[in-house]
Amino acid sequence: MAEGRALYVGLKLLDRQLVDRDDKACGKVDDLELEFSADSGNLYVSAILAGPGILAYRMRRRRWGRWWQRVNEVMSPTDGDPARIPMSLVAGIDDHVTLGTQGGHLGSMSLDHWVREHVTSHIPGSGHEAE
Amino acid sequence: MKKVFEVFLGILTAIGGFVDIGDLVANSETGARFRMNLAWVVVVGVVGIVLYAEMSGRVAAVSKRAVFDLVRERLGPGVGLANLIASFFINFLTMTAEIAGVAIAVSLVVSVSYIYLLPVAGFFVWFVIWRIPFGAMEKLFGLLGLALLMFVVTVWKLGPDWNSVLHAVSHPHIPTDETPFTYAYYGIALFGAAMTPYEVFFFSSGAVEEKWSAKDLMVERANVFIGFPLGGLLSLSIMLGATLVFAPRHIEVGQLSQVALPTAFVVGKLGLAALLLGIFAATFGAALETALSAGYTVAQYFGWQWGKHVRPDDSPRFHLVIIMSVLAGVLFAISGVDPVKVTEYSIVLSAAALPLTYFPILVIANDPDYVGEHVNGRFTNFLGFVYLVILVLVAVATIPLMIITKGGA
Repeated sequence: MAEGRALYVGLKLLDRQLVDRDDKACGKVDDLELEFSADSGNLYVSAILAGPGILAYRMRRRRWGRWWQRVNEVMSPTDGDPARIPMSLVAGIDDHVTLGTQGGHLGSMSLDHWVREHVTSHIPGSGHEAE
Repeated sequence: MKKVFEVFLGILTAIGGFVDIGDLVANSETGARFRMNLAWVVVVGVVGIVLYAEMSGRVAAVSKRAVFDLVRERLGPGVGLANLIASFFINFLTMTAEIAGVAIAVSLVVSVSYIYLLPVAGFFVWFVIWRIPFGAMEKLFGLLGLALLMFVVTVWKLGPDWNSVLHAVSHPHIPTDETPFTYAYYGIALFGAAMTPYEVFFFSSGAVEEKWSAKDLMVERANVFIGFPLGGLLSLSIMLGATLVFAPRHIEVGQLSQVALPTAFVVGKLGLAALLLGIFAATFGAALETALSAGYTVAQYFGWQWGKHVRPDDSPRFHLVIIMSVLAGVLFAISGVDPVKVTEYSIVLSAAALPLTYFPILVIANDPDYVGEHVNGRFTNFLGFVYLVILVLVAVATIPLMIITKGGA
């Protein structure tokens, strides 16, 4: 495992804005996946969790979280765990978290695709900036 | 020279954009019922909005982050969510009232019941948000809103004895036919109208939309420090007009159209036409700001892409929230609710929710992680803290007063 940085994750990582490499907002750090390393005896952040239902789980609303995940599975089926962003994809952490990848495929963006496909793209002018 | 023009234009738009349906209704009502005895509240409210708008604008310009973007980060997801729900609901009431205001202003000209005009007003609000760029939208409605200066002309034509006006403003008392409770309740309404939270959501998000940076702080401060107090004077002229025309005749203000009566009375047809244009622009501009604020707050809490500076295709959820809000607001208004009552409740509940918006701003404006060297000075912090105490007292008193006075009856 690569050398880690020491951070107060509760203060400096949780609920921060996620921005992809094209500077597009793609959700917030809803929760974190921690891993215990037996070698150093430290806890490491192994992944950022962001996407449908994650925040509800963190706020101990398991039923809402599960319901919302189901809704999302029906609306935009994916395989695997779409809400998990491994730390290897993180390019930088300051007052927001920058990802070294495009955000389009992230679980936190699935509803975005659905709304675009079913609502906004049907309205004339959706593909242009206001001018 | 370009900078001077920019500052001047910014100040003009700030004046024209300061007044919305809350100020129109609250100032007319209180002028008619309390004469100038509540004028001091407008002054206190304007100082408050200047103080906190400057802070939120500075935070947004330096950190490129809007207020609600930071609410969840600083307050945590639970308190942040409660804040979002309360703010969204109150903003929704305000938006509904503004859209109704647009429809009423037009209905006075075209003589069609405003109910039929509501869907049209809602459609155009959405259309402007969908198609017109941010800067043009702001300037257009801010400048047209300057037609509200007809209120100042009205007062000038009424020709009050200025010494006695100044005396009344500086020696406030509770009128004999009112109770301390109704006096306090309408004071809170005026305060809520001056300090409406959406102005801060919108102002800070707008700073991000227009890509302000630390070097634009001069322009931002000129807008706030000069534009807002002049907007406050405009509010006071509405109150004074109502004091001079309604109070001696014991007329109570129960309809938006009455707001225009003093002008129609002393300035005549052309003046009335200009005033109606001003009311239209002010409510339309505020309808845009509140509808956008609905999208801003939700998108910023959840971290979605937001803003008019990107294509709707790149911010579909932001636009969906706006579309649904405007639609729901139009339906709510069509259901036959009294627009003046909706306005009253929106400003009073705004007052009750003020600490939710202003506390996080005060915290963040002191955090060098976000604003670097541009943290609050001592004087700003002292004032900010005094105001926070006032806001909490107002918040605690609002609901009991609402019950005791039966909504200001």
